[in-house]
Amino acid sequence: MKRNRWFFILVLAVLLLTSCGGTKDAGTGGGGKVDSKGNVTLEFWYALGGDSGKAIEDLVKQFNDTHPTIQVVATYQGNYTTAMAKVYSAITGNTLPNIAQLGGAPLLGTSGAIIPISDFVASDSSFNLDDFYPSFLEYNTAGGVLWTAPFNNSVPILVYNKDLFIAAGLDPDNPPQNTEELLVAAKALTKTDASGTPSQWGLNARDDTHWYLSTFFLENGAQIVSEDETQVLYNSPEAVEMLEMWSNWVNVDKVMPPNQHQEAQSDFLSGKLGMMFASTSLVSSIQTEASFKVGSTMFPAVGDVHKVPLGGGSLVIFKNDDERIRNASWEFVKFMISKDSSIYLTSHTGYIPIYKDATSWPEIQAIVEENPLRKAAFDSLPYAVAIPVFSALGNSDLALQNAVEQVELGTASPQQALDDAKTSVDHSIKTQFQVTP
Amino acid sequence: MNNKTDLISDSSRSTRKIKHRILTFFSNGIWLVVVIALAFAVMLPFIWMIVTSLKGPTEVFAYPPTWIPKDPQWSNYIEMWKEAPFGRYFLNSAIVAIAVTIGQLTSCILAAFAFARMDFKGKNVMFMIFLSTTMISSQVTLIPTYLVMRTLDWIDTYQALIVPFLANAFGVFMLRQSFRTVPRELEEAAKLDGCSRFRFLVQILLPLCKPILASQALFAFMGNWNSYQWPLIITNQDSMRTLQIGLRYFVSGEGSTQWGVYMAAALVVCLPVVIIYFLVQKTFVESMASTGLKDI
Repeated sequence: MKRNRWFFILVLAVLLLTSCGGTKDAGTGGGGKVDSKGNVTLEFWYALGGDSGKAIEDLVKQFNDTHPTIQVVATYQGNYTTAMAKVYSAITGNTLPNIAQLGGAPLLGTSGAIIPISDFVASDSSFNLDDFYPSFLEYNTAGGVLWTAPFNNSVPILVYNKDLFIAAGLDPDNPPQNTEELLVAAKALTKTDASGTPSQWGLNARDDTHWYLSTFFLENGAQIVSEDETQVLYNSPEAVEMLEMWSNWVNVDKVMPPNQHQEAQSDFLSGKLGMMFASTSLVSSIQTEASFKVGSTMFPAVGDVHKVPLGGGSLVIFKNDDERIRNASWEFVKFMISKDSSIYLTSHTGYIPIYKDATSWPEIQAIVEENPLRKAAFDSLPYAVAIPVFSALGNSDLALQNAVEQVELGTASPQQALDDAKTSVDHSIKTQFQVTP
Repeated sequence: MNNKTDLISDSSRSTRKIKHRILTFFSNGIWLVVVIALAFAVMLPFIWMIVTSLKGPTEVFAYPPTWIPKDPQWSNYIEMWKEAPFGRYFLNSAIVAIAVTIGQLTSCILAAFAFARMDFKGKNVMFMIFLSTTMISSQVTLIPTYLVMRTLDWIDTYQALIVPFLANAFGVFMLRQSFRTVPRELEEAAKLDGCSRFRFLVQILLPLCKPILASQALFAFMGNWNSYQWPLIITNQDSMRTLQIGLRYFVSGEGSTQWGVYMAAALVVCLPVVIIYFLVQKTFVESMASTGLKDI
């Protein structure tokens, strides 16, 4: 017994020792080198693997080849989550790079470790923010400051199996445009075998369900977060109505399998799923993996309202004492978000161009001609909106995914699930993030 | 008379023997079926990995799934080397895993010996402190360790990948338990014959505990071969990175992953661990049976 007590005291002591300490010192020194000839070496971290990662490496190489005095060293840092973890350890260790490509990057604004892009823009007359889609800039704004630069962006779309459409007697060139047509098509596409178990589903969503649900919220006139960003608003009647519709697909119409979003993409590629909510970043490669003809169209409207919230990553510039390094960093970011780079990224990945008039450029039109699946994303551009970047956005995404899971499994009503989600997210805004004035 | 009883007992003995044989045949047979089924269940992911590594992008998702690739894509095994500098990653992973394994075994053996066989003031308290560190999750110590590495200016070095793992409380615990099962009389006898403590450890105790040492070595090697987060956080240059980070290059979060090439790489990466496992398997299995965890 005595030994036991000792043991617990010791465990507590060790825990205390490890959790204390670590004074937070926002990085101002940072990485990067300037040699005696004034040549600058920059460190750049990125968080995209696969084809997208290759496209970034290519762009960096293009930059290095055309900028003899600046050398950018690009390193892959895992996905958005691990890359962000690495950035936070680098902030405490004062070992930050100069530039990074990250998801949810505007939230770094409060860390004190980054220089807002708007500072660079203000002192660079050659650069015009008006060329970009306003929603892409909003996506990178937090608390009224443009913290980061738009880079790789995506919107939700609907992809569908044209072969299954034909087999179900649907017109493969006329995919559903709104939620009513969606349900009709989903019903036609759902097949059950002799024993009554479904062998083919009409509709499913990829595992980032919160994104697709948020799209319906916005299209139905619901808001995600209040103006002052102190509370989320998705337990409104407009939002509940949308989750009810989602719930009905699973529980009443039985056109969507309950809680099988992890498998949605492989089900779709195996030809067992008719339609899928997915990201545009998928469409550049999905046809090469499918053994059937794939179609794509804009995300279904509610009534006739289209509104698609942006996803994707941004570029950030970290603080640095050396002005030459800061300027070189801005030079690099400008290159990465230039028209030519945007075209390159758009044609080599599934991401969408960030410029207002991009759809009229011959290069972008050529991309659509070569791969018609890309059209849906470009059609969506005028309807792109940004969900405000607020402190508890990560918690909010998880809470919405949780709500979807609950209603699909029938453990909560849509109203109850969204009330719970709001309560938990509001609580974390208050306790985890809000700085009391 | 005597003959008769012998005869009876002989015949009954032989029928018993036959019965026994039939019984063992069936129980062995059932046992074999169960074991084969379990082995198959364990092997299935590996088999699936090998099959997938030979498939092209369309066949990966084909339904119903194919067990023998229609058009084996051997090129996947060439493609994987182009994706990331795997040669360098192999070298780094090997250096780190071998150094950590040797270092961890050395430190664990010495510490465990002290805790198991020597008497000194505060031994139990120290052991408890030591043991309590196993309850702290690695996420908690991530930033403090990072800061220590930063202060030492070790970021992007082999030291940073090796030194934090040279001591392992769980290993000390395992070895201590095993050391304690060796009778004290052995040590006393050796002492009487003029054997020093260190010589006793090296020449008598360690050979007796070979199985547990082998399994501890395997744990250390595997743990480091498979580690991802720490090498990712502590290294920035490609030249210092390890295999598991290389594997991540294939995974695209939002876009599509080339599963065939990815599985080819995964197979190549896990091969050394499998080979080492087979090499030490015999001693490893012995240790499973003989770990003296009951005697705390």
